[in-house]
Amino acid sequence: MNVGDVAVGVLLAVGAASVLLSCVGLVAAPSSWDKLHFTGPATVVAPVALAGAVLVQEPLSSAGIKAVLVAVVMLLTGPVVLHATARAARVRDHGRFVILSKEAERKEQPSRSSSR
Amino acid sequence: MNAFVIAAAVLLLGLGPCVWVAVRAEIVGALGALELASTITTLVLLCIAQGLHHDSFMDLAVVSAILSFAGSLAFARFLERWV
Repeated sequence: MNVGDVAVGVLLAVGAASVLLSCVGLVAAPSSWDKLHFTGPATVVAPVALAGAVLVQEPLSSAGIKAVLVAVVMLLTGPVVLHATARAARVRDHGRFVILSKEAERKEQPSRSSSR
Repeated sequence: MNAFVIAAAVLLLGLGPCVWVAVRAEIVGALGALELASTITTLVLLCIAQGLHHDSFMDLAVVSAILSFAGSLAFARFLERWV
């Protein structure tokens, strides 16, 4: 067993552990909003670790390039999907976002302070 | 059986909790579980492709990564309006 094999093993262990910990967090989190947070590590840490493992085993091969492509796609799209999901849940609960004009904001300000 | 195949088998264990949450939790949590499950599926395909030295399976992982993004956005849109 050489250094490359050890590095591959460590990277695979890191990737698998991050996914399993995300799953445990998903089950253990009390609310739906908390559950959304636990999709992050599996989307960010695991693809990078697994692509690194592939690159260590086969650098400059088509498999390595595709693994990096998968990691880049997941790194870019994971936060976007998470944000879209949270936004959809927020709109579902509280209705659409309303952008207030300056005048409406000024009218809103005293009523907020009086309600406190 | 090499390290990548073992990693794929370990990653597959993560699908169980995702299914559990998707069935039991509220709809927002269920969508989060679905997104995590699609991430795990993509990573499993990547590990299997490398473990079995099948380059064509790696193409599946790339396609799965892209399509799971589109699918999750579509689900989020439906969650916002109609579901």
